Amino acid sequence: MAGLTEYVRWLWGISVVIQIWVCVVLFLSGNFRRISLFTGYVIWNIAQAGIVYFTYIEFGLRSRIALEAAWMSQGIAQLFRVLATTEILRLILRPYRGIWALGWRVLAVGFGVVFSLALVALGTNFRWAIVVADRGFHLAFGVALVACLLLVRYYLIPVHSAYKALLAGFCFYSCTVVVANTVGRLLSVQGNPNSQMIWQLVTIGAFTFVSILWATVLRNPLPEPHQKGMPPDVKGTYQEISSQINERLRRLDELLSRWWKLEAAQQ
Amino acid sequence: MNLALFAFIAIVVVLLLLLAWALRGNGQHEESHSNWKTLEESGRSHVSFLPQMRQALKSEDEGFLARTGPSGLRARVNRERRRVALSYIAALRQDFEELMRVSRAIAALSPQVGVGQEFERLRLRASFLWRYRIIWLSLQTGFAPLPQLSDLSNLLSAYSVRLEEAMKEMGERAALVADMVSSPDRRRIHPI
Repeated sequence: MAGLTEYVRWLWGISVVIQIWVCVVLFLSGNFRRISLFTGYVIWNIAQAGIVYFTYIEFGLRSRIALEAAWMSQGIAQLFRVLATTEILRLILRPYRGIWALGWRVLAVGFGVVFSLALVALGTNFRWAIVVADRGFHLAFGVALVACLLLVRYYLIPVHSAYKALLAGFCFYSCTVVVANTVGRLLSVQGNPNSQMIWQLVTIGAFTFVSILWATVLRNPLPEPHQKGMPPDVKGTYQEISSQINERLRRLDELLSRWWKLEAAQQ
Repeated sequence: MNLALFAFIAIVVVLLLLLAWALRGNGQHEESHSNWKTLEESGRSHVSFLPQMRQALKSEDEGFLARTGPSGLRARVNRERRRVALSYIAALRQDFEELMRVSRAIAALSPQVGVGQEFERLRLRASFLWRYRIIWLSLQTGFAPLPQLSDLSNLLSAYSVRLEEAMKEMGERAALVADMVSSPDRRRIHPI
């Protein structure tokens, strides 16, 4: 642990405590049943902190084993992140089968395209391979998530603020990691001695902030996103106007058809 | 390297802005809904004023006023006609946005959403907005673009026809489900 500055150690400790708090809140509120994969993600983050701490103590911060343990555990955390996000989007879009079918394709294609581009950009620079791949992952994740949320907004699908906060947390953290990895790499190339500390402070700080947000919204049981029948907004609009609109469209069509005929005759 | 930094920061800023916009409350939807009611209460679509608009923008009138009217009248009439035409195309756009909104509601209710159809709608919207901007600019600069105005109205009409077909299909499906529900053997109901 000697390689970590005091600020980083403190922030890391606070972050782990808050993650444990999120986990406790998930179980106390009963939300772990509804968002089990998200709960898995939080538990894995706590476990990852334990694994990394153990390897740092045992083998040293700069050892190969510590580095491998940190990045491999990070890979599993990324997998959990994707699964947790898909789980939340699935919950939101469950009543809208057509939109969900479109949504998961958008998520998959968006993620696949951006991540592939990021890997292509990796080129032959293997020294920074993990950092660039990690940045590529977070960028792809952020793009895919925002694309899905735009789709949800486009189709006027109501989303409870608790689910919004969970998704916003994921996206905010990914965006921060993209910037932190880019700035960290730049500072390191320029030979800045504090580059690692800055990177650690920014990423851990962002995750701590997101964890506080999650702990706050998860205190109460999450509302059932599945609404019986149609969503209120769509339902109201559809029922009110479905008969009127047919009439109106027919009238509009007839009128136009008459005008075009009249115009053709005049010409 | 600096270029990469700026590029990534720009991407992240755009992503965060889009995220904020996507997660914003749906107050705008309610406003749009109330606009729809107003439109319905008015009893007729704005497209129905196209003949008057065509008449108003005819260049023959301008020539006549120049020959026979008092000085300044032609310029004043032109200004007024332009103002009315701008209001008209703004109203057409409002009609179009409402139709788009209804079609989105239909898509959200549908158990299957065709990617091709959705992209077609996006293309249609882009096309409409492009024509709208061209006409708006032409009117602002003093031209009276009759052909484009017809195109715009035409697009709106074509779109409404497609929407009607979609609604008819949904109505037929709903009737089918109602039939199945009312049938004696309800264990074999697979509405979708």
